[in-house]
Amino acid sequence: MFDTNITLNQFVEAIGESFYMVGMSLLIGTIFGAIFGILIVVTRPGGIIPFPIVYMILNPIINTIRSVPFIILIVALIPFTRSIVGTSIGNNAAIVPLIIFITPFIARLVENSLLEVGPGIIEAAESMGATPFQVIWHFILPEAFASLILSLTTATISLIGASAMAGVVGAGGVGNIAIVYGYQRFDSFAMFSTVVILIIIVQVIQSTGNKLARMIRRN
Amino acid sequence: MIILEDIHKVYLRKNVETTALKGVSLQVDKGDIFGVIGYSGAGKSTLVRLVNYLERPTSGKVIVDGQLLADRSAHELRQIKKDIGMIFQHFNLLESKTIYQNVAMPLILSKKGKKETKERVTELLAFVGLSDKANSYPNELSGGQKQRVGIARALASKPKILLCDEATSALDPQTTQSILDLLKKVNNEYGITIMLITHEMSVIQKVCNKVAVMEEGEIIEQGSVLDVFGHPKHATSKNFVQTVVRTEIPENIKRKLAVREVTTLTKLEMVGDHATEPVLQSLINKFHLDVSVVFTNMTEIQDTTLAIWYLQIEGKESDKRAAWQFLEEQNVRYEEVTV
Repeated sequence: MFDTNITLNQFVEAIGESFYMVGMSLLIGTIFGAIFGILIVVTRPGGIIPFPIVYMILNPIINTIRSVPFIILIVALIPFTRSIVGTSIGNNAAIVPLIIFITPFIARLVENSLLEVGPGIIEAAESMGATPFQVIWHFILPEAFASLILSLTTATISLIGASAMAGVVGAGGVGNIAIVYGYQRFDSFAMFSTVVILIIIVQVIQSTGNKLARMIRRN
Repeated sequence: MIILEDIHKVYLRKNVETTALKGVSLQVDKGDIFGVIGYSGAGKSTLVRLVNYLERPTSGKVIVDGQLLADRSAHELRQIKKDIGMIFQHFNLLESKTIYQNVAMPLILSKKGKKETKERVTELLAFVGLSDKANSYPNELSGGQKQRVGIARALASKPKILLCDEATSALDPQTTQSILDLLKKVNNEYGITIMLITHEMSVIQKVCNKVAVMEEGEIIEQGSVLDVFGHPKHATSKNFVQTVVRTEIPENIKRKLAVREVTTLTKLEMVGDHATEPVLQSLINKFHLDVSVVFTNMTEIQDTTLAIWYLQIEGKESDKRAAWQFLEEQNVRYEEVTV
């Protein structure tokens, strides 16, 4: 029916590779992003542990990385990637720039989510004699939890988009199929299928994120 | 219990200095319900936050329960804060946690055991009348109920002092009354010293025994509530007192007095038992004076009665002098006022 060279197996494999790249970089990026996001919130002037130097160093670093388009980041980071993974080609090599790309993005999203927690909550916490760690752990994070889930949803979708560009460094995934088969071999079926698959994946992730956030907010 | 000594507080924002407090001194004794009243911007929010060191003074001493707060380390200050509960205008409850978890929070922070926490929270929820809401979330509660949770949470760590930051300002009059009753109960049953700030004189009237009136970063008048209500000295205090007790002669009566060319009246101020004693009758019968009542007002403050009478008194000078002496013996405050 379709004039195509691609098999179902290749699709399944590509989806697996996409999930691997996105999953790994999301996991590591979330850990670092959350740490940096929390740091930038608590160390800012007027924060719960004001530490201007940390804030003044972290803030521009996050801005700088965020201003580099991902496709350029991949290429620019090749030497760095090679020194860490041992190669600059393949799925694992793609994960390094994905992490570098998503960490400052998550840090910003976490920052925004945490800043939504009203100053009254923090004041109440301090009036109870909470330590700075307790203020973050028992007050700010639970109150921001629903918003953090939505932030992570946004980050995941961004990562899926970015991972499609990883074909540049020889990584697999759904994006790679679109480029190698759809674009380079004029295989419209492959192109169309990847678009549909990406739409479905993004939809599922977004609505799952929304549902989770709503459950947490209990509205 | 709480001593503030010559407190100055200056904020520096964008290199512009704003003075919030200019040499404030006050003392709150154990068992007091001490009210601080003032218009917004008078500095009362800053004042109440000094007591648990959410705000640090630029100069001056804060002494709580015999401890000079400036000498204490961050760790010691956190321990001191556990002896000071605080409730807020907008309640500041954790929306993501149940009522039970909200009330338990101070105990979780102090790493108390599960059993002890459960007993204490159950007791407190019963005390504030919300036992059935333990598993609800704050957004399912009314404003008054939220403030009850705030009070239960503030009491969880068995504090000696409770600070109330405009605790009833977001509530309707009826709910305000029930929260004030609860605060009185907190003071009576647990012997907790309360310091509250408000812009509503009716709040002071209903629960406080002492009051300080603030204006532009200074305390312009302070004393027992009966004294301040009976004869406020400062114009702002008078304005506040006027909102709940009419101590001045209404304009329409003044106009009638003007027509009758009455220029001086005698103002009597009677407190407590005196207010209900037959003082007027004595003036008429014992001292043969002509007494007509021009204006009167009786108010209940602090479970006693404050009565203010404006009288027009005619009679012999010698009788009047004897009458004044009698009033003095009766501890009735009197003064001649010009209309």
